[in-house]
Amino acid sequence: MKSFDPVTLATPFFILTIILEIILGRLGKAKAEYEAKDTAASLVMGLGSTVAGVLIGGLIAVSTLWVYSHRLFTIPMTAVWAWVAIFFLEDLTYYWFHRLSHERRIWWASHVNHHSSQHYNLSTALRQTWTGGVAMTWAMWLPLAFLGFPPAMIAIQKGISLVYQFWIHTEAIDRMPAPFEAVFNTPSHHRVHHARNPRYLDRNYAGILIIWDRLFGTFEPERSDETPRYGIVKNLGDFNIFRVAFHEWVSIGRDVIHARSPKEALGYVFGPPGWSPDGSRQTSDEIKRAWREREPDRSSDEAGMSRRA
Amino acid sequence: MGLGFWIQLAGSAVAIALLVAFAAWARIERPCPPLDEVAARALLAEEFPGRNFERLWIPADRRGVVARSGNEALILFRAGDGYVARSLGWTEAAHTAARDGRLQFRLEDVGAPVASFLAEGAAPWPPGSEARA
Repeated sequence: MKSFDPVTLATPFFILTIILEIILGRLGKAKAEYEAKDTAASLVMGLGSTVAGVLIGGLIAVSTLWVYSHRLFTIPMTAVWAWVAIFFLEDLTYYWFHRLSHERRIWWASHVNHHSSQHYNLSTALRQTWTGGVAMTWAMWLPLAFLGFPPAMIAIQKGISLVYQFWIHTEAIDRMPAPFEAVFNTPSHHRVHHARNPRYLDRNYAGILIIWDRLFGTFEPERSDETPRYGIVKNLGDFNIFRVAFHEWVSIGRDVIHARSPKEALGYVFGPPGWSPDGSRQTSDEIKRAWREREPDRSSDEAGMSRRA
Repeated sequence: MGLGFWIQLAGSAVAIALLVAFAAWARIERPCPPLDEVAARALLAEEFPGRNFERLWIPADRRGVVARSGNEALILFRAGDGYVARSLGWTEAAHTAARDGRLQFRLEDVGAPVASFLAEGAAPWPPGSEARA
């Protein structure tokens, strides 16, 4: 469906920059921590994700082409304004896809693997889902085809976004120049997104532009007095690749089997991660609330930091 | 899937193996020294904020800690160069016996089904049992 694939073109760049990050970390020239099993899990997830993409790609292509055949307008792929438009619209779509992937458990099940590393380095960027196709998150891009953007154009812009998001998975870069930090997603903003500190949970969903988080109230700046602790609220007990890929799906299945009513089952599937009917688990909101009650001084300072950002 | 796909897949697998070997060679893991009681308490406070830790048990290899907090056993164990936190009912945890020198807690959690500790050479489990002996 597409003749130009930014991700394939960027793959040598991915490999070379991972090698560079490891060398800089080894020489002590930049902050970079790599653990071999963790790195292996991330890279194998990345490879498996491309295989899953091949397997499900046909369905996505057919669906997108079908929607495109019922489009409202015909948008020319050669027009500059069309590329400007799809840049913003695709990035806005990504923001909501990503937010949904954190706020609803069925989609979190597909996305959690990307966050399951306790490290934050360039290999983490490649720790991609195997089950995104099953979770049908790709359907969120169908409205762009319905508007009239050619499927190839959508695929290219999605690829550009993915390539952009690679370089921000690093601790080697502290802060970019302030005007850049104000508009674009950066390593600093995305470190916050990957952190499990209560303050940082479910923040900074941006793909390329951080403006969406600022606009929709999900922006949180990285603080010098609060180092991000990476991973998920309940970190995985080992590096078994199938556990990384499927653990949340299995957990959902178990919960649904033991649900006492259809309403409970729906809550387990479509509620926020951490939801339980008896409140015995904690959602991100509940974790944040407990933290605010525990540390009122630090959490009230949170508002001040956000205003200054 | 044609031959090209399989060649690409094999090439990618080789590249991954080389990158992982390079990362292992670089030895730039996160520093993760064996836990003493002070470090264990600090980690517990980070993972289980606002909780009291009544009794601590640290395994022989110091790669984790189990603490009693009311009716719960708070468990921290190493995975790579990070720690994994889970909890278990204290009664169930206290009745877990060491086998072949290891103490294994079944956690009923798909993400971390077992927490395994080196018990041989460590203080008796559960903590406080030496006083009763």
